[in-house]
This record gives sequence, C-alpha cells and structure tokens, in this order.
Amino acid sequence: MLSLEHVSVTFNEGTPNEVRALRDISLAVADGEFVTVIGSNGAGKSTLFNVVSGAAQPRAGRITLDGDDITYQPEYLRSHDIGRVFQDPRLGTCPGLTIRENLSLAAIHGRQAGLRRDVKPAHESWFYEKLEQQHLGLEHRLDADVALLSGGQRQAITLVMATLTKPKLLLLDEHTAALDPNAAEQVIAVTEQLASADDLSVVMITHSMQQACQLGDRVIMMNQGQIVFEIAGEERRNLTPADLIERFHSLDSGVELSDRQLLA
Amino acid sequence: MAATASSVDQPHSRASGAGLQFGLRAIALTVVVAFFISAGNVNIGAIGQGLGYALAGVTVFLTFRVLNFVDLTVDGAFPIGGATCAILIVNGHSPEFAIVAAFAAGALTGLATALIDIIFKIEGLLASIIVITAAYTVTLHIMGGKSNIPLLGEETLISRHSKTFRNWLVEQFGDQMRRQSTNLLEIIIFGAIVIIVLLILYWFLRTEIGLAIRATGKNEQMVRATGLNHYMMIVIGLMAANGLAAIAGSMVVQQFGFADVSLGFGLIIRGLAAVIIGEVLLRPRSVGQFLVAAVAGMLIFDISRAWIFSALDLPTTDIQFVSALVVLAALGAPRLYDRWKTYRQRHGG
Repeated sequence: MLSLEHVSVTFNEGTPNEVRALRDISLAVADGEFVTVIGSNGAGKSTLFNVVSGAAQPRAGRITLDGDDITYQPEYLRSHDIGRVFQDPRLGTCPGLTIRENLSLAAIHGRQAGLRRDVKPAHESWFYEKLEQQHLGLEHRLDADVALLSGGQRQAITLVMATLTKPKLLLLDEHTAALDPNAAEQVIAVTEQLASADDLSVVMITHSMQQACQLGDRVIMMNQGQIVFEIAGEERRNLTPADLIERFHSLDSGVELSDRQLLA
Repeated sequence: MAATASSVDQPHSRASGAGLQFGLRAIALTVVVAFFISAGNVNIGAIGQGLGYALAGVTVFLTFRVLNFVDLTVDGAFPIGGATCAILIVNGHSPEFAIVAAFAAGALTGLATALIDIIFKIEGLLASIIVITAAYTVTLHIMGGKSNIPLLGEETLISRHSKTFRNWLVEQFGDQMRRQSTNLLEIIIFGAIVIIVLLILYWFLRTEIGLAIRATGKNEQMVRATGLNHYMMIVIGLMAANGLAAIAGSMVVQQFGFADVSLGFGLIIRGLAAVIIGEVLLRPRSVGQFLVAAVAGMLIFDISRAWIFSALDLPTTDIQFVSALVVLAALGAPRLYDRWKTYRQRHGG
C-alpha cells in the first residue's frame, strides 16, 4: 500500500519564481487498487509521481510503501518496487538494444547487476509469454532493435518491463497521450491486462476523461497542487465523461479545461 | 561525429548475414591494406605501433560511443600507465606485473573523472580536462620527478624474446629477415595481448553489468527506472576504459624503450580517428564488431601515416602535422561525402 501524508513540494523556494507544486497532499492507494488522476496542466500531477518515484524531494511530509518509509530513498533503489511509464515512448526503452536485451535489463530489477550472462536462455519462454499476452506479435521480434518499433509498441514493451518483476506500484504518466488513437487503445488494453493479472496498485495520470471513467476504481482530481475531489464506489461506477466535466466546471478554480481534455 | 552517429544506433542487432558482411568487409580491407604496405613500401613497424596504440582506440569507443560520455582522460591515463609500467620494470618487476599495475593506475585515473562528474556535476569534457591537468604531475611523481625513463637493457615483453626470435627467424628464413625481426616480434606479442584483452572485454560487455553500461549511454533515465545505479555504471565504464588506455601506454613504453611524460599528447584525437575510420570502413553493427573496428581503425591510422611518410620522404619532425592531417581526413571525409550526396540529390545527379 502506498501512502502519502501531508506531502508538500516547492520549487525555487524563496525566489520570485517560487512554485508550490504540491500543497499538503495526503493520499492512500490500497493493494490492487487502480486510481486515475486528472487535472489541468500545472495541477501537480507529474510532481506527485516524481515525489513518489524519487525524482523529486518533498519539502515536508512522509511517503511510505508497504510500511517502509521511502520519503528520501534514492530513485534507483525505489525503482525495485515502483514501475513507471512515461508519456514519451522513447524514455521507457533503450534504443540500440534489442527487445530481448531491454527485457533482460528489466529482469535484473531488484537485484544487483552482476557478471552473469546478460541474455539468459532460461528467460526466453518467460519473455515470449509476456509478449504473447499482448497480442501485438512482438514475441516473434525479440531480436529487433527497439529503435525500429512504433511508439505504441515501445510503450507496450515499457509496460511489460515495468511489471516484469512484479513491482508493488505502477505509475503511468499519460502513457497514451503521445500515441495515435489506435495505438492508445492497444496500450490501454495491455495496461488493463497487466494491472488485473498481477493485482498490483496502479496510479494513472490521464488527460482523457474517457480513460478516467473507463479505467480504475477511483478518480482523483488535482488542482493547484491539491486534491480537490475524489470519486469512488457507486458514484465512480456510474460516472460518465460528461459528469466529470461538469464537476470540473463546478469548481471555483478559475482554471479552464483545455480543448484537448474536452475532446479526448 | 554527427555524420557517423547513425552507424552506432544498432550495435547489437543480429540481422542474418550482418556478421558475414562484416567478415567480408574485414577481409577486403585486409587485402587492400596489405597491397598498400607492399606497393607503398611501408615499414611493417607501423603495424606493431598501431597494435600498441590500439587499446586506446577501444578506450575512446567505450567512452564516446558506449557510455556516450565525452571523456578526454585517455590523454592522462595513457602516460600514467606508461610511467607505472616503466618504473616497475626499472625496479626489477616483470613486464606482466607492470602491465597489470598500469591497468590499475589507469582505472584510478578514470575513477577520478567519474567522481568529479558525479559528485560535482561537472560535465565529462571539463572533468576530464581537470584530471589530465593533474595527471601530468602524477605522471612526473610516478617517474620519480624525471620526465623520461629509459628502459635500455631492461627486460620487456619485446626484449625478453628478441634474441631467440631473431636467431630462429634467421635460421628459418635467411639473413634478410634480421632487420624485420623486432617488428615481427612486436606484431606477434602485441597482437596476442590485444586479442586477449578484446575477448575479455567482449565477455564483460555481455554480462549484466555490461548490458547496464551499454544501456546507460543510451537512456540513463531508463536505467534508473530499472532499479540500477547508473552512477555505478559510469564509474565502472570509465575505469575499464581508461585502464585499457593505460595498458596501451605500458605497451607503447615497452615498444619505444622509454617512458615520457608527454606520451599521451593528442591521443584522444588519435583514438577518435581510429573509431571513426573503423566505423566508416567496416560499418560494424554488434558489440564485437565495434571492438574489432576500433582496433582496425588504429592500425589503418598508423599504416596510412607511415605510407604518407615514405611516399613524401618526410623528416620525423613532421610527425604531428601528418597525424593531424590523417585525423582531419578521417573526421572530415565522411561529412564531405554526406554533403556531396545531398548536393547531388538537389541537382538531380
């Protein structure tokens, strides 16, 4: 279980450019829960992910994962338990290496890299199975350089890498936003399948009201570094994109939804 | 480098036939070079010298290409390796031990650059210039305050066998081989060392750590996200790379018969030229092919330089100028070729 208690993040503190990216945020995500996060640009969604994954440091507050305090743990150590997929498909995989090598790298996850052979024959059927489940045909292209794959394919590989060694938490940062609608749909299908299979906690940032209603058990709306509302349970199950947009407008935030959010 | 960067984008694809193509190109290149050597009357000493410097080319491949780290430390690690080797040999240690010690000294030089980069967040280019500057003094201290240590009469890898080898050669092939005996011996011994080191490095690059090092140069963010300490990969990578430069330094010192504080002058350019010549001529695709290409590039650098010398009958004082010209040709030719191609496309040729 992930838990944030009174976490605040401020950038450029004490300068005219001071930005209070997160203001006293508290959030708990239960094991196996799937939470979607929406909010306008600059609401603090990505900062929330950065502080959980260790890419940013909080000014105050405490972050725990399964009871362990990870507030100030280095990013690479936390990565053992936290898988992360970014918006840019190029960030999650390594060009110049084959699909097999990328997966082999992900398979080291949680251990120290040693002098064992990089690509292990014993992993072959494991990789094949994982890729086969995605129905993208990538299991036949283990020798292909990932630089040659499309954005959607790279995102699918990144998802497999992020979940290969069963992390406790998966963070998805608008991971379909840079894809064409067809590829986005495929990646969402892969996401649902991976999230349900391993019973892991997932937090997904999205700009798409459609996705926020379609996926997950709970919707969180962020604005100006704070969580402004949550929708869960019965209400969440009956939620439509139109409802969400209405809720958004009812906020006295002075922040307008972008066209992209309305159209998505 | 931009012109040839695309050739490194896929260093490990196993497309069928790629290995065969590489092999054919390597054989064709060997034939052409052999023709140049015999027709151009090039002294085969150039091959031995190229082998002596070859591992410095591999250093540049590891730093610039694999780690994507602009590292000039090779200019400092090379003389440090040479000095360490020379002082140990003069003090009666075996050449083998001296080479291993040189590797350690070079690895420490690489460590210094890595730590400056990581701790102070000073980028590789500046970090390595700082280290080279300090390395000059360190080299002088290793050599006991002298700027030059002669190895005359000491036992080196070459001198140890030179007499037996010469006698054997003359016995087998006649007296005309006497003059080439040292050159041939260098080619055999240095060739063996280079092959052994390349095999170890090839194995290493294909371990888990090796894979993580290769990935660090391509996508550091991803390596972190995979739970690996990318700083550690930079440290290990720079230590291994500059350790190799120091081995090259210790080989060249044994070849020249002396160590000198200025031995590493301009070496980074020479290494870059080797890497680029190898990439342009052999178009390597996999890790192993890149290693072979870096060594081949260094050999071709030395052979073409020797060829220019013998063709134009130049005095040895001109050596650095000719080196610069060869480097310019290696760096400039691919770019000029690209521009010519675009020009032709534009004018419908």
